[in-house]
Amino acid sequence: MAAVNRPFRERVVERVARAVAGDRLDQLQQRLEDLEAEVQECRQLNVRLAEVTDLVEQLLLPMAARDEEQIAAAVEKYSRTM
Amino acid sequence: MADQVPPRVTAVDDAGVHLAPGEDTVVDVLFDGRRIWSFWTVRDTVDGVAAWPPMLRKYLTGTAEVSVVEHLTGTVAYDGEVTLGSGGGRIAVVDAQGRPLGLDKSNRIVTTFDTRDPEHTKPLLDSTEQLLDALREAGVDAFPAYGTLLGAVREQDFIGHDSDVDLGYVSRETHPLDVVRESFRLQRFLKERGYAVDRYSAAAFKVDVVEADGTVRGLDVFGGFFLDGRLYLMGEIGTPFELDWIFPLGTCTLAGRTLPAPARPEKLLEATYGPGWQVPDPAFHFETPRTTNRRLNGWFRGMRVFRNEWDARYSGRARGRVPGGGPSRLAQFVREQEEHIDLLVDVGAGQGGDALWFARDGVPTMTLDYAHGASSGVRRVAEQEGLDLDTSWVNLHELRSVLAQGSRIALRQGHVVLMANHLVDSTDPRGLRALVRLARMSLAGRGTPGRLYLELDVLGPGEHYRPSGRRDIVRPKDLGRVEAALTSGGAVIVHSTETEVRRGSGKPERPVARLVAEWQR
Repeated sequence: MAAVNRPFRERVVERVARAVAGDRLDQLQQRLEDLEAEVQECRQLNVRLAEVTDLVEQLLLPMAARDEEQIAAAVEKYSRTM
Repeated sequence: MADQVPPRVTAVDDAGVHLAPGEDTVVDVLFDGRRIWSFWTVRDTVDGVAAWPPMLRKYLTGTAEVSVVEHLTGTVAYDGEVTLGSGGGRIAVVDAQGRPLGLDKSNRIVTTFDTRDPEHTKPLLDSTEQLLDALREAGVDAFPAYGTLLGAVREQDFIGHDSDVDLGYVSRETHPLDVVRESFRLQRFLKERGYAVDRYSAAAFKVDVVEADGTVRGLDVFGGFFLDGRLYLMGEIGTPFELDWIFPLGTCTLAGRTLPAPARPEKLLEATYGPGWQVPDPAFHFETPRTTNRRLNGWFRGMRVFRNEWDARYSGRARGRVPGGGPSRLAQFVREQEEHIDLLVDVGAGQGGDALWFARDGVPTMTLDYAHGASSGVRRVAEQEGLDLDTSWVNLHELRSVLAQGSRIALRQGHVVLMANHLVDSTDPRGLRALVRLARMSLAGRGTPGRLYLELDVLGPGEHYRPSGRRDIVRPKDLGRVEAALTSGGAVIVHSTETEVRRGSGKPERPVARLVAEWQR
């Protein structure tokens, strides 16, 4: 039953909130959506940074050796084990 | 439970199972005595009808003795001969080899455990132990998770209406970034040992294990970690949890085998299925809180853009197929424009028909695609014919794969040409930027200008494209935006034409653009 009532209750809550806050309610809702989007953008950096870190880790040692064959082999191996 | 009124089924017909109003309870639908489908009598009905799931509909022609049975009590709510569809013969819900199929909790049509006998589950148990050992060797202590753990703890066996094996591990890392790095490392470890690994997200993947009879079985591995007193486990869990409910691992029994388990498996099962986890529910649906979904999405997901759709397109009968029909118009155009090519890279090559055409013409060729196995037919032919054709993997939504393949191509000497036939219109803006990055890495800074050849469906003036559904994955793009992405990546557009062509499969006419982008420095 709760699931059936929720939309009605939500509508009432929104009507009361709108009566009190007016346009401010829309602004706050928009701000909330913006903030959620910004939080998600930050979270998504994790994978990007992990990917770069992983690649650098795997290729740094062969690069430091300045051995072209080793570098090519490391790139080859990295590509084949993804 | 004792006071509950059993469900009352009023009819079974082509629309589905019709029920009189009553309490919500889970029922099994049996055809000729075999469970096919389960649903909740209120949650899963509309206007008193539980409609046949779309995946089941194609089997529903003929006659069967249909029973609707309350799952927990075994009370029969309906039992009778029913003729569905155009009739004729018995309804047979089986695969091409005649193996019985049923619907799992997600309404996917699968071979559920209740139709498999011990000789079939033994190889699966062997594979499970083998993969658990490999993961332990790789440095994580994995254990059966989700339905597999539920079955082991509740029934010491597989759950009849389940169909696969799920493993989980809890990382000792405490930051999502390090959990992702560890997951990449695990993938590398397994790949080096010959396993095929298909990534679902940055913290979960599927491992294909080849069983003794040659059957390839996918086992899912879900990564987890603790953050601020909460356990997060891909792909549904984010809950307050204690570390000592996981470690040190204990054991559980699955179909006679002793396998590792969380120290307090009941705690994990409660976190997964709620306090009612001990009561069987073959139609269970996860109700993952929005905050957990947002966290798991943000930290780990976003790399499978249209992957399922492309994998489906290249699976089944299409697997291993060598495309016929000759080269694409774009491939022919590339051949006309380029006198000599030291390496032709077809990005988003699919089954690799164009690549095979180039390789047979003596051009060293590489295919890049993210659909696993799409080019297996062409690879087989290339090996038989001794062609210089490399089939490799890239996912435009996995940066590391783009960087690695970009540097691989950059290391190749001579004149390199890239082509991407209807790739740009099959990806999103992030995918387009990744393609430009791949092209720049591959083509910039060479002695001679390197070129990327593209064809894509483009939007008409002022047009806003509405996809017709999830399977409508080639979606026309704004040509100006594509050109801008290329030029901002350092390319010069040296050719841009638009032609009106008729599409197959009843689609209306649609302009197709051909672009050549050149990296001159």
